[in-house]
Amino acid sequence: MEILRNLARRKLRSTLTILGIVIGIFALTTMGAMSEHFNVLFNFAEEWYSSSIPVGSPDGQAALLPLSKISEIEKIDGVAAAFPGYSFGMKPGEVTTVSYGIPDTIVAYDPREAPYEALKTSIAEGRNLTAASRGEVVLGTSVANEFKKRVGDRIDMPVRPRDAKLEFVNHPFTVVGILNPTGTVPDSFAYVSVADAQILFKDVVPAFMRDRVDTTTVAEGITVYGRPGTSLAGLDRIADQINQQVPGVKATRPSELVSSFRSGGATFTAITTAAAVLALVIGGLSVVNTMIMSVIERYREIGLKKAVGAHTGRVLREYLTEATLIGLLGGAIGYALGVVLTNLLNMAGRSSNLELFLVTPKLTAIALCFAVALGALAGLIPAFRAARLDPVMALRTTN
Amino acid sequence: MASIELVDLTKHYRQGRTVVRALDGVSLEIGPREFVSVVGRSGSGKTTMLDLIGLLLRPTGGRLLIDGQDAALLKDNRRADVRAQRIGFIFQEFNLLPALNVMENVMLPLRYTKSNVKDGRARTLELLEAVGLEDRARHRPDELSGGQQQRVAIARALVNRPTVVLGDEPTGSVDTQTSQELVALLRWLNREEGVTFVIVTHDLDLAGRTDRMIRLSDGRVVGDELVRHAA
Repeated sequence: MEILRNLARRKLRSTLTILGIVIGIFALTTMGAMSEHFNVLFNFAEEWYSSSIPVGSPDGQAALLPLSKISEIEKIDGVAAAFPGYSFGMKPGEVTTVSYGIPDTIVAYDPREAPYEALKTSIAEGRNLTAASRGEVVLGTSVANEFKKRVGDRIDMPVRPRDAKLEFVNHPFTVVGILNPTGTVPDSFAYVSVADAQILFKDVVPAFMRDRVDTTTVAEGITVYGRPGTSLAGLDRIADQINQQVPGVKATRPSELVSSFRSGGATFTAITTAAAVLALVIGGLSVVNTMIMSVIERYREIGLKKAVGAHTGRVLREYLTEATLIGLLGGAIGYALGVVLTNLLNMAGRSSNLELFLVTPKLTAIALCFAVALGALAGLIPAFRAARLDPVMALRTTN
Repeated sequence: MASIELVDLTKHYRQGRTVVRALDGVSLEIGPREFVSVVGRSGSGKTTMLDLIGLLLRPTGGRLLIDGQDAALLKDNRRADVRAQRIGFIFQEFNLLPALNVMENVMLPLRYTKSNVKDGRARTLELLEAVGLEDRARHRPDELSGGQQQRVAIARALVNRPTVVLGDEPTGSVDTQTSQELVALLRWLNREEGVTFVIVTHDLDLAGRTDRMIRLSDGRVVGDELVRHAA
């Protein structure tokens, strides 16, 4: 209580000091929330690419692989299964100069692939696709929210652009299921059956070639799964063998992809660290300054407390507690403001599938603990100074 | 047994090449319930002697016994404990904590002893009544006059039932009438509480109303006499 009253006695100074911590922790919270959001995406990508091998066309060739390559690939030692892959932009013709989110994508889904997938999804409403699904779609949570679709609704995919030409084609799909949020890539996906994907694939083939390509016999890419327990190095070896033994395809080593995503994650970690350093400099210096001033102004008070029996350690603890409380107050306010702002920005970006912030329990703990530690650390020197004051000199100090 | 015994107590300071003998071999005894004043010109050593008795300074030589215990050799935290349990202080500038109200200021020394809170509150209220401030318990120091603030400081000095109360110019910051009221209060408390008072003062009126006057000059005792009061 005495600490709070002492803070209240110097309202302007206390406010400015706490504001220093508020700014720092606010920056840490918002930048950290963005970093957490992208780290989830990067972690997903790491997990995904460390559990499968993407196989595509050889360098320089169009993304068109005969499905017959699947049986060739499945003969390679260590391969458990291979599945064709199709993906299409949900909003073709959309011009985006800068994008921070995952674009809405229509992807093919084969129920037989589910046991091999690294990231498991679950149904929030409705049901999943079956092998016999035709004209059905399961939506990720972000897509469902963006287009305001629920189970039973119809959605035409891909979405017709505003300036669509006459030859633009899309198809009606019935929403049969909506996934639970994953916080990562699947939230932006619309899953259709392989058969439906092959129909959509035909639409993207240039018109003059369309009649010459049987899209039921080709795929954009093939996803290859190793036997359960295969390490990343093991997958790399399988990729090398595919490249050596299967002509007309190119398998990418998963470790190369994982490495690139790890670099991306490191970038955002660096951003968060920079925000933390900013918090340290701004907030910490303001607390140090305030506490030093506070000790100087309260020399006689410190001398009195020592005169009436306060141990050195007790005086140290009192001032350290005051500095820590300043850190906690500023941290709580800065964190709360950060949460409010990130929630508002996410709400504003929801319709464009642009939710960029994720406040995790880990981030909350880091922000608050950092604020408390910052206050305590900044208060150490002033607290030691107070504790070591000579009581005689302190009592005789004139204000 | 004397409450306080100084045996050849010395305090020297080094200022450059010069040695300042602030207290130069003082020996005296102050008994229980005595009401003593210490007078002398500026630089005579009276404040230094008070600080030594209050364990705020360490002597350069000699011994200081409080209730028979040699306090000069104690370590810092133990000295703080002795101050909390056995010594009360009254300062010229009152030295009340502005963030605390009257009640909390009086109870401040109780923080540093293992006192029962309930007993401490009761003792505080008893003392506030004794000094005439029972209706000001929730007031802040800046809401009180100088005389009232010094009464609070007096109550604070007594809250732990000390062996001795040390006053450093306790009437130095108040007007004449208030000064006389405070002196009367100190006398009354000396009788009622049975506490030894040692008051450093320039105020000869105050000194004349104590029982014993010790004169210091250049760090030495040059006079120690009982005070004759007018009949």
